[in-house]
Amino acid sequence: MADAQFDSALDLLRRLNPRDTKQNVQAITSIVPDLTEDLLSSVDQPLEIRRCPKTNRDYLLCDYNRDGDSYRSPWSNEFDPPLDDGTVPSERVRKLEVAANEAFDVYRELYYEGGVGSVYFWDLDDGFAGVILLKKGVTPGAKSSGEWDSIHVFEATDRARMSHYKLTSTVILHLANESEALGEMDLSGNMTRQVEVDLPVESDASHVANVGRLVEDMELKMRNLLQEVYFGKAKDVVGELRSLSSLTEANKERANHAEMIRSMQR
Amino acid sequence: MASTVEVASSFIEGAPPGELADVVADVKSLTSDGPDILPSLAPAFERYNETQLATVKLPGASQEVLITEYNKLEGNRYFDVESQTSFEVDHVTQEASAAQSYVLESQNADLIKSLLKSLGAHAREHYRNCSYGVYPIENDSAVAIVLVANRYSPNNFWNGRFRSIYTVPVSSSSTEISGKIQVDVHYYEDGNVALNTTKPINLSVTSSEASAIMSRIAGAERDYQEELNRAFVQMAEGSFKGLRRQLPITRQKVEWEKVGGYRLGQDISGGKGR
Repeated sequence: MADAQFDSALDLLRRLNPRDTKQNVQAITSIVPDLTEDLLSSVDQPLEIRRCPKTNRDYLLCDYNRDGDSYRSPWSNEFDPPLDDGTVPSERVRKLEVAANEAFDVYRELYYEGGVGSVYFWDLDDGFAGVILLKKGVTPGAKSSGEWDSIHVFEATDRARMSHYKLTSTVILHLANESEALGEMDLSGNMTRQVEVDLPVESDASHVANVGRLVEDMELKMRNLLQEVYFGKAKDVVGELRSLSSLTEANKERANHAEMIRSMQR
Repeated sequence: MASTVEVASSFIEGAPPGELADVVADVKSLTSDGPDILPSLAPAFERYNETQLATVKLPGASQEVLITEYNKLEGNRYFDVESQTSFEVDHVTQEASAAQSYVLESQNADLIKSLLKSLGAHAREHYRNCSYGVYPIENDSAVAIVLVANRYSPNNFWNGRFRSIYTVPVSSSSTEISGKIQVDVHYYEDGNVALNTTKPINLSVTSSEASAIMSRIAGAERDYQEELNRAFVQMAEGSFKGLRRQLPITRQKVEWEKVGGYRLGQDISGGKGR
């Protein structure tokens, strides 16, 4: 029953307006409280930003750097509000996390030219796992806005001289526009993709490069996919609903064309 | 805290085009009452049907007729002008029954019939699949022109709906048309992407002839679709490009060995790393 309800909740969230995912998760958990933990850890929502009190740098909040009501800053490795016994990564994995944060900071500057990023790693029995978060918002006009949230969760499982990487990536993209001629237009949503691959590992430094390349390739693919769905597919469906050109003219032309082909085949 | 019925009602009313049955199945699974909750959700189904301009087939007929707030009679009965029929609707199952002959009594009956004819011609020109209606409203002092076009392709994970509603006060001289166009598209393959638009329409026509009114409306719908098509391009070239580049300005991908090792590239991050 619980599994069936979880599946129903995910199906419902895939159908209701993606702009309202946060409220809808709350609404579902208000009628089925047992689903709260599973939904919060498996439904991606736009990331919130917090300032690290120690380093004065912004970082992003998610379920993976949360312990109770506190969040761990990737810059200071400390929880806010402070926790005496908050869960932190092992020394080796924290070193990797620091390196990955520095690497993805360069990546963020090159691709996003701004925004906020955070990387969190944690230990697994046979390897480690992590999440790479990137967020950027723009307001090119008084009444137009855009917001991008990338959430890349991976597991790296140790194999001999190799590591098996499993990456699940979600991009949440909100776009809105409003003008006298256009009225209100809202184009919002999220898309998820997965990839699994074995890559050689010489030292711990290889992990950062491997994960970096995986995320970079995935984001390129997803950016192209989002472009296709948001500005191609959505526009095409509007054209399916309403034809700008006359349908009777189009049907006539099609009939003429078919007639011409038939006459050429005779 | 919101009650189960309130929460379930908001889900029903939020169902995207063509996916009401899927949302209902999810709601039944999520509520402890299961299917027993449906009767208490009837008001939500009614609001959904009327705002989304739901279509139902008349008993024994293939033709689809509209459920709107404008053709509502007593109880759950609605009427259709073209087929001169009134019918009862089960809002939960979206089924029509108990059809009866219905003769339109309106001082604007002639205008309504002419508008239906012009609207039908307009609909055939621009909508592959649509339903429409014209009804007397506001104590017979005005008419409502309603059109809905649906395209469902669940096998390809997309559904769409185009709605337009106009109210036209009937007077002898000039006519002020007001209304709105709404477009909703849902794409849900490996994700959930929604397009929702609302465009208020205000037009004046220096005639109360059906053909003049419909020609003005057709022009406004064309202008809006062209504006919407331009907005897709503007969003792609504006906000979207401003969020994330396709490639760094150098046209080179990141050299992860140089930025990702323990000897991290202070030379690369320059002053930007902080």
